[in-house]
Amino acid sequence: MPDIGIIEMREIIAAIRSGFNYDFGNYALTSLKQRLEWIMGLYNIDDAPGLIAKLHNDRNYFDVFLHELNVPSTEMFRDPPVWRWLKDEYFRIMASRITEKIRIWLPACVSGGELFSLAILLSEAGMLDKVQIIASCQSNKSIELIRSGFYNLKKMEVSEENYKCLNTNTQLSKYIRPGLNWAFRDTRLIQHVEFNILNINFDNAPKNIRLILFRNSMIYYNFSHQDRILHVMFNALSPSGNILIGIREKISGINTGRDFEFVNETESVYRKRNLS
Amino acid sequence: MSYKAVIIGGSAGSFQVVTRILNALPVTFPMTVLLCLHRLKHVRSGFVEALSMKSGIPVEEPFDKDILRPGRAYLAPANYHMYVELANRIALSTEDTVNHSRPSIDLSFITAANAYREKLIGIILSGANRDGAMGLKKVHDSRGITIVQDPADCEVKTMTQAALQLTNVDFVYTTDQIINFLVKLR
Repeated sequence: MPDIGIIEMREIIAAIRSGFNYDFGNYALTSLKQRLEWIMGLYNIDDAPGLIAKLHNDRNYFDVFLHELNVPSTEMFRDPPVWRWLKDEYFRIMASRITEKIRIWLPACVSGGELFSLAILLSEAGMLDKVQIIASCQSNKSIELIRSGFYNLKKMEVSEENYKCLNTNTQLSKYIRPGLNWAFRDTRLIQHVEFNILNINFDNAPKNIRLILFRNSMIYYNFSHQDRILHVMFNALSPSGNILIGIREKISGINTGRDFEFVNETESVYRKRNLS
Repeated sequence: MSYKAVIIGGSAGSFQVVTRILNALPVTFPMTVLLCLHRLKHVRSGFVEALSMKSGIPVEEPFDKDILRPGRAYLAPANYHMYVELANRIALSTEDTVNHSRPSIDLSFITAANAYREKLIGIILSGANRDGAMGLKKVHDSRGITIVQDPADCEVKTMTQAALQLTNVDFVYTTDQIINFLVKLR
């Protein structure tokens, strides 16, 4: 695998900024370096000028690059206790209070792992037609992939294990049809999902959101980008709306630390604090 | 030479060794200790508590971006890779498994070597796969100190043998010798 240094990292970031108006300068440096090296390995690119040349010479590649740069979910139903909490507590309470369509937002979809997991739980609770799910991606390639239902067979086993922990009396294979090399998820689950493209600063974020699933995305940002994006989340949420982040992530920014309060500390569920 | 951090990688058969090392460290241990141990994905709790029980220094599972402090041990959380960010902070990642592992010992060692350069001590313990061999080589290439648990002292030799094949390490030590080496560091 290539090993790119700090100076080369800065060159790549600068080239993307000037060529595509995308600023990765506020991404966490070490994981960005790992990810860029992984991409360069995919295409047998040895050094930073090689990657810059590829981006420059093949303008259509940039959309695919964005898809590859963003880290997909590790598996479906990652951290089963989180999903159990959603199923047994959150959705149960929500179901009894529905007066209008509930808006749920997934701001950083890459492979659809979280989206399909959510849709399965809502479908089993008989709530799929009572919600509007909005799935945002950085890249068209991500949207295309999610819509196709494509699923990596490699992730099946662990996803099935996770799903079993939810005690639903159903097999995950009810929703996923395995093929020879990969599997396909039941796309009827996502037929009413609204997909859109969001840029790196999440401009044009949706509004009046009741629940945001934003797990393990902020680990790839630096503090200032986290703060900026959490501010977007705050504005997107309706009063007392909830946001779920990764179980090893924290909301601790100077500006945003006081904007959210814990609902469930173990599962990293927060509520928008209503400022008086 | 003053070292800033010790990074320890282990898998099958390493739990007792890590426990003994942590038990021997004085509360005044002057360095950061990073632990990247293969563990079950689904089991979130219990591991850090078990390691803490007899440890001479506090052991914690860090959150993303936590500051690394001397005299404390940081255990890579289940199902996350644990990186060392340049500003002496933890960075967690959910990237794909490496050597079928997340946390990956290689990735923790490589990023720690990038951050600490020659001020890092890398130790590979008992384990059943090849994870850690590339990482330890990176520590060596960055002029850090490299130690491998003596395969004859290991419950499972594969991981230490893979590391020894790839790198001309500084020391091959038994558990007792590793402990002796660490407690003498100032």
